[in-house]
Amino acid sequence: MSDAAKASPYRIYWVTWAILLVITVLMLAAEKFHMPRWFLVIFLLAFMMTKATMIGGNFMHLAHEHPRMSFMVAGGILVTSLILFGYIAPESWHVHDSARQLFGTPAAAEH
Amino acid sequence: MTDGTHAATLEAHWAGGVSPFGASWQKTMMWIFIVTDGLLFSGLLCGYGYLRMASLVPWPQQSEVFSIPFIALMTFILITSSASMGSAVGAARLGDLKTAGRFLLVTILFGASFLGCQAYEWTHLIRDGARLSGALPGSELAHLGVPVQFPMCFFLLTGFHGSHVLSGLVILIITAIRNSIGKTPPQGVELAGLYWHFVDLVWVFIFTLFYLL
Repeated sequence: MSDAAKASPYRIYWVTWAILLVITVLMLAAEKFHMPRWFLVIFLLAFMMTKATMIGGNFMHLAHEHPRMSFMVAGGILVTSLILFGYIAPESWHVHDSARQLFGTPAAAEH
Repeated sequence: MTDGTHAATLEAHWAGGVSPFGASWQKTMMWIFIVTDGLLFSGLLCGYGYLRMASLVPWPQQSEVFSIPFIALMTFILITSSASMGSAVGAARLGDLKTAGRFLLVTILFGASFLGCQAYEWTHLIRDGARLSGALPGSELAHLGVPVQFPMCFFLLTGFHGSHVLSGLVILIITAIRNSIGKTPPQGVELAGLYWHFVDLVWVFIFTLFYLL
């Protein structure tokens, strides 16, 4: 354990807490600025990943675990999720387009 | 190949001996559990993405259905509980059981508050006409024109997360009781903490992907 950690073992958790809160407020405030949708999506996803990294790294101590452990956890979940999403996203667009051709735009969509 | 050479070859290949992840078996098993549970939520979130993108009816503006400041309050509660849980782990590592117990109690209180908020949110949405199979005809939600998939995604995502919060609370209460009688080793608090932080981590994704995007 480092000297700093011995002096205040709680500091890292509350500093992380403060940063997470600031990021959350920024994410909530982002909607108020009328930025393009694609930019908002990238902005929110980037901050979401930043928050996840901070929770995993500092709260769950993945930053201090053996690199193999960090790779197994973060790599395993991320890669599997991306593959899964990569397969189903084109399928969902296909279903959406097919349904629109068959049924047209529903009344609710016109509101 | 002699036994010695075989062992040396294995060690060079595996390079971790009996502890390839540099952690105890309890911690390694907890991490493997977290990975599998993470994949469950990954599947649920991808399923939500599929339903949302395939929906012909546009997804509603979340602020029309939910009180976003209230969801922000829930996020604040969960993040704060995570920080106090981290502090409990820090105190347990230093052998300060009393402080660890206090932080555990704070975490339990915040966790219970989060569940209370979730119960309130569910009640509110059910009163507005949300059902697992869609919005009730003539209800407030039906007037908003929400797609059938919307309430279903809400109940599944927040329901699974809420059940994890509930089981996390049970684990924390057991850990706190055992800690108060000096029966929980520091690693026990750390393992309970890992699960609790995972619950917080999942909420980060649900909060962004379901409530904000």
